[in-house]
Amino acid sequence: MAKLTIGCFSSLVGSMSLDFAVKLAETAVEKGHEVDFWMSGNATMLSKKGQKSFKDYSYLDKRIRAAMDKGMNMCACEACAEARGYHKEDTFDHPKFIRKSMDWYLASCHTADRVLHIGGE
Amino acid sequence: MKLGVFVSDYQTAVNTLDRLKSDTLGIFLVQNGVYHATIAENGKGSALLDAAPRIYALREDLETRGFAADAVDSRVKVVGYGDVVDLIFSDYPKLAWL
Repeated sequence: MAKLTIGCFSSLVGSMSLDFAVKLAETAVEKGHEVDFWMSGNATMLSKKGQKSFKDYSYLDKRIRAAMDKGMNMCACEACAEARGYHKEDTFDHPKFIRKSMDWYLASCHTADRVLHIGGE
Repeated sequence: MKLGVFVSDYQTAVNTLDRLKSDTLGIFLVQNGVYHATIAENGKGSALLDAAPRIYALREDLETRGFAADAVDSRVKVVGYGDVVDLIFSDYPKLAWL
């Protein structure tokens, strides 16, 4: 098994890129690969706690928690979150989730077998 | 170098692809990029389909947009998320997102 690092710099919850990134990540986890998932920019929205599920609307909270339960590591850019008013108390709790600087992403890329960097819009 | 490029929008990305140097280029059509695999203008398919020897389109994104597999250009292979993960690790050491 190998390691995939996904860096998602877009986008707001409900965007196609974020949906794609999460589905790719959870598929890789299901296949037994190690996955690091970095959220930067508006993608840090995904770490907001208290997200609700609505019919016909993207709801990734439950899926990323399931992926983290299976070992996926998630990290949100702390500066990006703070800049958007999401403080530590506003983000969800999970042992596989942390907030760090971009150093975390760079270190993850360095040790990854594959890196998919999804840029912002 | 083998390079896998994810194309996520229905825009002409051929100029960008031309500037990417690789021994083997594979294109993954995802999100609105799958329209490249299905839409023909004036009877001609997207120029992007001539840009790489291996082109894949994500089944889920095709179906979300109402396209069945038989609507896809014959040069395109329809794949699922599991196939994408396998291809990433087996065939494409370097990845890019357009």
